[in-house]
Amino acid sequence: MKTKEDFPSINERKPEGQRPDGTPFRVLVVDDSMFVAKQITQILTSEGYDVVGQAADGLLGLERYKELYPNVDLVTMDITMPNMDGITALQKIIEFDKNARVIMISALGKQDLVKQALLTGAKNYIVKPLDRKKVLERISHVLSK
Amino acid sequence: MRVEYINPFVESAFNVMREVLQADVKRGDLYLKSTSMPVMGVAAIVGLAGDVEGRVLFDMDKPTALRIASAMNGEELTTMDDLAKATITELANMITAQAVTKLHELGFRFDLTPPAIFTGDNMEVSNQDVEALIVPMEAPQGKVEINVAIRERA
Repeated sequence: MKTKEDFPSINERKPEGQRPDGTPFRVLVVDDSMFVAKQITQILTSEGYDVVGQAADGLLGLERYKELYPNVDLVTMDITMPNMDGITALQKIIEFDKNARVIMISALGKQDLVKQALLTGAKNYIVKPLDRKKVLERISHVLSK
Repeated sequence: MRVEYINPFVESAFNVMREVLQADVKRGDLYLKSTSMPVMGVAAIVGLAGDVEGRVLFDMDKPTALRIASAMNGEELTTMDDLAKATITELANMITAQAVTKLHELGFRFDLTPPAIFTGDNMEVSNQDVEALIVPMEAPQGKVEINVAIRERA
């Protein structure tokens, strides 16, 4: 019987969601669409990220960030949400933690809002429909800085 | 209704559906309806208000909605539960957002309402003073009709 050791390890790539010491990066997903939240969570967990929290609007997202802080490395933030929109939540998260790393998730056609978010301190943005490769690239780029 | 309004919806429905379903999508022939028409069972609606006003309806039967939601989630969904509804809503959201970007580039200014989803049997939609253009899109998962009723604000 062949054991695992009989095969050369050609796939030994470290998951992008982990630090060199093997601990996962911790992500908070803020999105009012259950579908989008699930999609982001699936993409991230498949690469070894730890989704430590989810919130369905900006206000809940802000509260969740404060609860998790400092044990959170990155936030994905939808722009259009009820109660508190993503830009206001971003602003308040940055007031609370000026080093917060927030990536905006936006539908196409919200360029003005995306620009405003980037000026407010968002580190990057991703346009829906979400593409796995694009999501992972943008997130690992922000975390590597 | 001016054809400039409908083309962006056709193009973006085609692009978004092809991308999220990873499948070949075909466009059927446009047709016009000025009276009430049946709704197939699952309908996501987005309202428009500004220089132009009206609504866009994404209409499909329930099996199609479930097959589309399953394809988009990468798992089999068998009931129109919250996840399935959120998925169809997001599809409507993405198509509308992309179409609106094109309409904004053409100089039309208006806002969108968040999408709402209706499910049920024997529903119909009526447009009192605005005619609706319907674009059928054929995907392997089934037919989605994009029903656009927009007019310029008086």
